Amino acid sequence: MEDYDYLFKIVLIGNAGVGKTCLVRRFTQGLFPPGQGATIGVDFMIKTVEIKGQKIKLQIWDTAGQERFRSITQSYYRSANALILTYDITCEDSFRCLPEWLREIEQYANSKVVAVLVGNKIDLAERREVSKQQAEEFAEAQNMHYLETSAKESDNVEKLFLDLACELIREAKQNALVNSEDSSMPGEGKTISYLNCCSFS
Amino acid sequence: MYGVCGCCGALRPRYKRLVDNIFPEDPEDGLVKANMEKLTFYALSAPEKLDRIGAYLSERLSRDVARHKYGYVCIAMEALDQLLMACHCQSINLFVESFLKMVRKLLESDKPNLQILGTNSFVKFANIEEDTPSYHRSYDFFVSRFSEMCHSSFEDPDIRTNIRMAGIKGLQAVVRKTVNDELQANIWDPQHMDKIVPSLLFNLQQEDCKESACSCVSSLPQGSEKEKESPLELTERCFRELLGRAAYGNIKNAITPVLMHLDNHSLWESKSFAVRCFKIIMYSIQTQHAHLVIQQLLGHLDANSKNSATVRAGIVEVLSEAAVIEASGSVGPTVLEVFNTLLKQLRLSVDYELTGSYHACGNIDSAVVKEHEERQLQEAVIKTVGSFANTLPTYQRSEVMLFIMGKIPVPGMHPAIGPASSGFEGSRMIQLMLLKALLQVTTGFQTTNMLTALPTSFLDPLLSFTLMEDMEIRLLVLEILVSVIDRHDNRPKLSSISIISDISVLKLKVDKCSRQDNLFMKKHSHRLYRHIYLACKEENSAQLHFETLYALLGLISMELANEEVVVDLIRLALALQDLALTNEDSLPVYNRCAIHALSAAYLNLICQLTTVPSFCQHVQEVIETRQKRVPFLLPEDIFIENPRVPETLEKLEGEVVFLQTKIAEVLGGSGYNTDRLATPYIPQLTDEDRLAKRKSIGDTISLQVEVDSRNSPEREERCPAEEITFETLKKAIVDSVSTEEQERERRRQVVEKFQTAPFEEIAAHCGARATLLQSKLNQIFEITIRPPPSPSGSVGHGSTQRRSVPVYEMKFPDLCVY
Repeated sequence: MEDYDYLFKIVLIGNAGVGKTCLVRRFTQGLFPPGQGATIGVDFMIKTVEIKGQKIKLQIWDTAGQERFRSITQSYYRSANALILTYDITCEDSFRCLPEWLREIEQYANSKVVAVLVGNKIDLAERREVSKQQAEEFAEAQNMHYLETSAKESDNVEKLFLDLACELIREAKQNALVNSEDSSMPGEGKTISYLNCCSFS
Repeated sequence: MYGVCGCCGALRPRYKRLVDNIFPEDPEDGLVKANMEKLTFYALSAPEKLDRIGAYLSERLSRDVARHKYGYVCIAMEALDQLLMACHCQSINLFVESFLKMVRKLLESDKPNLQILGTNSFVKFANIEEDTPSYHRSYDFFVSRFSEMCHSSFEDPDIRTNIRMAGIKGLQAVVRKTVNDELQANIWDPQHMDKIVPSLLFNLQQEDCKESACSCVSSLPQGSEKEKESPLELTERCFRELLGRAAYGNIKNAITPVLMHLDNHSLWESKSFAVRCFKIIMYSIQTQHAHLVIQQLLGHLDANSKNSATVRAGIVEVLSEAAVIEASGSVGPTVLEVFNTLLKQLRLSVDYELTGSYHACGNIDSAVVKEHEERQLQEAVIKTVGSFANTLPTYQRSEVMLFIMGKIPVPGMHPAIGPASSGFEGSRMIQLMLLKALLQVTTGFQTTNMLTALPTSFLDPLLSFTLMEDMEIRLLVLEILVSVIDRHDNRPKLSSISIISDISVLKLKVDKCSRQDNLFMKKHSHRLYRHIYLACKEENSAQLHFETLYALLGLISMELANEEVVVDLIRLALALQDLALTNEDSLPVYNRCAIHALSAAYLNLICQLTTVPSFCQHVQEVIETRQKRVPFLLPEDIFIENPRVPETLEKLEGEVVFLQTKIAEVLGGSGYNTDRLATPYIPQLTDEDRLAKRKSIGDTISLQVEVDSRNSPEREERCPAEEITFETLKKAIVDSVSTEEQERERRRQVVEKFQTAPFEEIAAHCGARATLLQSKLNQIFEITIRPPPSPSGSVGHGSTQRRSVPVYEMKFPDLCVY
């Protein structure tokens, strides 16, 4: 009688102003808010999607890119099932900061976390500073998925989250198989016990 | 809905019917009270059904949320609340699960109203004490969500404030719920603390900017909400509650995020918020844990050693404020550790200032050291040392004084500690800084037992020659002496040097000198006198020096004087007059006048303290004559901005000079020891001093020291050749010549002394004769290896002294005397 089959926590990270909040807004509310201000600390959104007849609840934590909120945002990495590392294709700086973000992930996030690299703002292709190839090579080297999106044109946004959800389901099923007895895999464990303790008959 | 269910009502389980009945047809009508009572009664009489009621209610609620029927949502929540309250005595474990699921559901919504509704219910729940633990319950989501709400950026400022306040209340509730129950999720885990603490701090700091920005705007709508708590107050209360509950093991996890937050938001630089924060922390934390906070701050200071001076100064400032608050207890078990860290920072700062870089090896990213910022930092550190010292009991304070003394690089005494990198100027700066710190520690220090408070190991380096040459350092040493000796707050009364015709206006507090004080004076008085005498001899003295000397003389005569000391002090004053009169050291005229004035002012003070009328009269007469004929020999005329000093000081005679014979005569009448008084005071150089002097000159030793200390890893690398400058070599040569002169002078004095000195001094020297035996023995040993020295060498006292004796033998005479 629970209203979902899976619950996943997704955290968005990346430099300030690369469009994390816009991606989330576009996905959860279908909006592109022009003149979106800087996120303070962290923001929370929820969206339930249906994939192959299964209800997937996505808890999306949208973090502030600003340096000064780093301590609060870091504390959210730990419980994340997936991280969306975002950069702005029109801003090489945001791309060059990626190794630093990867270090942060390494340090604070769960080792099993699924990380996706996202190059946002492809609607501004004429101002592109980071080539697709460059980014793909980087993602490959880091063993990450790579996707280019536009929150404004709604390009690939849906795909980003749905692909991620599929990937997470796959991982969750795999984990359930591997640890069929003890389901308390880190990250996934929370989800499953969450289901268990709340399901009444 | 009611109507639909009505026909098949009989087929449904009773609890479902009861639940359905509490919902009115129109959600505007609110909860159906009568039916709610029925439901409550049923739940109470059949508690085993409670979990099913909960599950059904929550099912309905989820449905209503999904259908945006918010009126029903509120009703369902109200019902859940009421049931929770009514049934809390029984086992409500399973019911709580569905309750929490509902709260979660509400919190997941993006509607502010539902978020706040959910939070309020959660707060109510948190106040219920459960009797059975729930091992599997997790509050992760609540902590995350409430923290997020604390950072709400909702467009409407009023709603935003409400959401944020709800977040704070929620966090408070989570803490309350979990803090006492060890079986539940540990709220003190870093993963929770790292969210809770920054969220609270963010709101605490938010109010600062808001209040300053739009205080006029916010004052209007707040009129109606006056009775309500402001977000700031709420946050602060919540923060205090959190800290107040922290046990020993949790302090670290709670403070670390605070430090991180202050780092990330660059709040150390502006200080005020950081200070406020730590004031809250220090006041609300359990006092026995306060030292942990201090330790963490110190650790953080260490970790920021390479950060900019403003950051370090901010941390130091916070430390200083925190230390004052912590005054109730001790600094904790590691007093010296605290001071060690502070002194280390002081030294680092001096190094940075001198080298102009944060990295010895010159990293590329090293920022430019801003000298004035380093200076401010140094001041702040010194101030902090003072505030820490003020919290300590006397015995620990003298320990700290010794500790700091031990850190001062005094060549020949504590050679190992001088900074290897910065050479002469560096060690001067370090001396200056550490003496300033020492002065801070001694301020307000009042000991009953001088002997233990000022052991030889403290006085020795303090009174050593090397701290005499530089005028700034000399002044500091004098001030330290003054503040240590002053135990009755007489210092301010002697702050300026002048002739006071009636000292009763000063209202000086004089106590009888205790036995320990007498012992102290017996042991150390000669070194104090000598120090004063030699300080007067220094050319580069300014008005401040003479004022401090005056205060020192005055305080000795008030705090530590017995009859003997008084006599000695008068002898010292007369010797100072002689020093200015004979002018063997060819001092500038200003200094000579100043010394005259000092001795006059002091004699004027002490004659009134002794209350011998004829003594007073003599002093009075001389002063009056000086006023008429040579006013520049009195403090009033010399210690002004542009003193009129004559070109030369011709020989002064007669009534403008204090006469030894005359004073001896008048004091003899009052029972003072005239024989002693008739003997002029001549400062004695002790063996240790000579040794110290010699060592300070021989730069070989300090060179060696620097080589030694280079081995320690923390020291920065420097080429040893740099240490030997032309200046140091020149100094060494010049000084060694003067030592020989002093040696000769000394021999002359020894002879003179044996003819004139009072019993006590001779006795002291007789003690030194014990070395004779020792040196004879040495000679016998030497004969076995070397050709015999001339036998006459051991007879003359002076030549024994001339031999350079190893340190362990030097100590021998001292032991014999005492």
